[in-house]
Amino acid sequence: MRLERRSGRNDEGVAVAEQVVGRITARVLAREAGDPGHAIHEVIGETVFHERSRLEEATGPRADADRAFYNLVAKRVHSGRTADPALVREVVRHYTDEIRGHFDRRVYAVATRALPVGLSALLNGLSPLHLVTHIRDLPSLEQNVVLDGEVETLQSLVNVGTVILAPTHASNLDSLLLGFAIFRMGLPPFSYGAGLNLFTNPLTSFFMNHLGAYTVDRSKTDPLYRATLKEFATALLERGHHNLFFPGGTRSRSGAVETHLKKGLLGTAIAAFKNNLRARKARPRIFVVPATATYPLVLEAKSLVDDFLEQTGKGRYVRSVDEFAMVRRWVDFLTGLLRLRLRIPLVIGKPFDPFGNDVDSSGTSRDTCGRPIDPSRYLVADGAIADDAARDAEYTSGLASRLLHVYQADNVALPSAILAFAVFELLRRRAPRLDLYRLLRTVGPEATLPASSVEAEVSALLTELRSLARDGRIRIAEESVEPDVVIRRGLETFRTYHAVTVIDRRGDRFRVRDANLAFYYRNRLEGYGLRGSGPIVGAGP
Amino acid sequence: MSDPIAVAVVGAGNWGTTLAHRIASNGHSVALWTRDAAARDEINARRSNSRSVPGLVIAPNVRAVTDMAQALAGATLVLFVVPSQAFRAVCRIAADSLSPEQLVIHATKGLEQRSHRRMSELLLEETCARQIGVLSGPNIAAEIAAGMPAGTVVASHFPRVVRVGRQALSSARMMVFSADDVVGVELAGAFKNVVAIAAGMAAELGVGENAKAFLVTRGLAEMARLGAALGARPLTFAGLTGVGDLTVTCASGQSRNNRVGRALARGQALPDALRELGMVAEGVYASAAAHELAAVHRIDLPLMEHVYRVLYEGQSPAASVDELMRLPAGDDVGATRRAASPLEG
Repeated sequence: MRLERRSGRNDEGVAVAEQVVGRITARVLAREAGDPGHAIHEVIGETVFHERSRLEEATGPRADADRAFYNLVAKRVHSGRTADPALVREVVRHYTDEIRGHFDRRVYAVATRALPVGLSALLNGLSPLHLVTHIRDLPSLEQNVVLDGEVETLQSLVNVGTVILAPTHASNLDSLLLGFAIFRMGLPPFSYGAGLNLFTNPLTSFFMNHLGAYTVDRSKTDPLYRATLKEFATALLERGHHNLFFPGGTRSRSGAVETHLKKGLLGTAIAAFKNNLRARKARPRIFVVPATATYPLVLEAKSLVDDFLEQTGKGRYVRSVDEFAMVRRWVDFLTGLLRLRLRIPLVIGKPFDPFGNDVDSSGTSRDTCGRPIDPSRYLVADGAIADDAARDAEYTSGLASRLLHVYQADNVALPSAILAFAVFELLRRRAPRLDLYRLLRTVGPEATLPASSVEAEVSALLTELRSLARDGRIRIAEESVEPDVVIRRGLETFRTYHAVTVIDRRGDRFRVRDANLAFYYRNRLEGYGLRGSGPIVGAGP
Repeated sequence: MSDPIAVAVVGAGNWGTTLAHRIASNGHSVALWTRDAAARDEINARRSNSRSVPGLVIAPNVRAVTDMAQALAGATLVLFVVPSQAFRAVCRIAADSLSPEQLVIHATKGLEQRSHRRMSELLLEETCARQIGVLSGPNIAAEIAAGMPAGTVVASHFPRVVRVGRQALSSARMMVFSADDVVGVELAGAFKNVVAIAAGMAAELGVGENAKAFLVTRGLAEMARLGAALGARPLTFAGLTGVGDLTVTCASGQSRNNRVGRALARGQALPDALRELGMVAEGVYASAAAHELAAVHRIDLPLMEHVYRVLYEGQSPAASVDELMRLPAGDDVGATRRAASPLEG
């Protein structure tokens, strides 16, 4: 069941889209001028090819409409009149229509302001199924989300330039969590680059369609689509709309903190900054602010890790039906959070300019010694602002590696991850010759570990974590201090939500009830070299 | 060739002075930074730098300065040519005057001690520079200074850095190749010095030409293996900055690292050997780095490990040769086989 309510006014979205259509068309026409009779034909031919291969497997009304559209486009391409600029415009507009969705600055500003403090009211507005009847005492995000880090810097930066908020992506809950955090910090509205699945998911489509979200469809491989999407995000930034997107692209399948980022959308920071400088905008600066959310439990952990292990899911498009679409799972998840008073730390990281330099709260870029830098100089060659795609891509890679560094440092070691890591290490050490898949397959209900070894492992792990935390390389939750507390909290956390608990304790033995989930939660602490472990996830499936 | 470029060279040692002279001879204007006021005055007044490059008549459009701001002002391209262990400190001095639009190429073959940072990483950490590249290849300074023909490489992820670097350095006597494997080029330059020490020992021990070729080739395989673990492309080691530089360093009696190896094989202790050399031997630091990195990445580097033992643990070079010859021989070009990932059965 899909809930769609068109907002009446969509002027800003239309304006942005028109600007994008104009720019992309001009770009293609410039190529056509240099290569008459070929460029348009090539570009549109490529679009038809990519879109038709995508549509081979796609079903539903949206896919049917797309099929009909591309049949018409293909006919026109084959009719011989290939140098038709109107055709380019129509194809790009077809894309921008989907991307802009119901983006409307005014509706969206109101929605953000009125965003309920409690998740209960949010779900009321959200759910066509009147969830509330199922749940008493809904948890409030106020109690569960712990905001930390550079909140004040972010609050100040939205007034001196345009901000890209770039969070880690573990769960579909991220969008709601960040929507709440933006409200809680008293920030002006942010537009979201949200995955298409959030629009097709009945629980989130309403929210997305009414919160200044624009659509990102990662299944579209057509370069023209990618260019259009990038230009859309760029134009939004230039028009002063703060922007939120997940630079990791999709939710982490393994449970690990991101190890690479998609450079496409991230590159909009430089593109918008450069356009702003050329247009001599009063506030040309663009800031990129990382945010790291760490969940003690992840709503859709099971389907994510299955996807990871199936390999086929990797890098491909998300299945649209998972726990996130199941009401019952929501109920269990939320009540679990409430009962245990589980905290979700959301750390706002130190902000960067588009070139990866630190930025202070006045918006000034600074080098590692605190000297001010004029970031516009990075774009200068031979005395003037110059275009250089390779240069800008490289700057963006540099920015990406700095973001990844912050994600690692702002990750919070929670009891569930610590316990899972310790148990998984013990299993791995017991069978050092097994590869990951065999290891996971051989861990059945009979796999038990003596409590003393789990305690010793957790204790050793905590010592290493504390040393990393002292160097600012990770954060440790307040409750993750004493080994016995960590173990107790970890076990409670796992018991409260997952259909079969991940790890439990019987007398003086620990049992691994779900090896895949233990692997998933353990992965959140990968990449730190803890307990001498090499990468498992990083090695790729 | 085309428009003259404003170039700054930071570091007026043997290689820095040579590069400044070559670039200036190509018609570009060069500001050469040195800490040493006497060297500055000698270069500006007498066109010579007798301590670093005896006998060279330095081109007139090289202007030596001791003020960093003055050296860097207006330069399109900045070359850093300072020893690896002084590199960070010099970056800090330059950071006050560098501007984000300046292109930076370094020509230092080594890693920072303990941190194992590459020089381009130090530039990123200590300065606002982002458009960074590295110059490396089989380039004995004395031959380049004398205008003998040579090939070299400028590697950068930034095409403009490569373009401008080539423009500054290319001449009828210098072919400048491009590359984008910055990590590979930097690591090849650092680790070939370790193999050069081994080659020096072998030469002094008189083990023969077969053994030297054996050692150099296996050394190259170790360089590539370690490099790949650190993010380099193995094929880079087959190029000018790998096998090219290794060949010249191992063959030439002029190489500092080669000389250190010879001295050790004669039974000299390391501090004495270095004192006698009177210059920096980058391989001595690189050996410690290779030893530590091999442990972290769990890579087997028998040859480099033995160099480490001779340098730092008092092992005799002759004993190392015996031990190395007793190791089991595996595949020669094993690196072409796909390494098993931990996830594979």
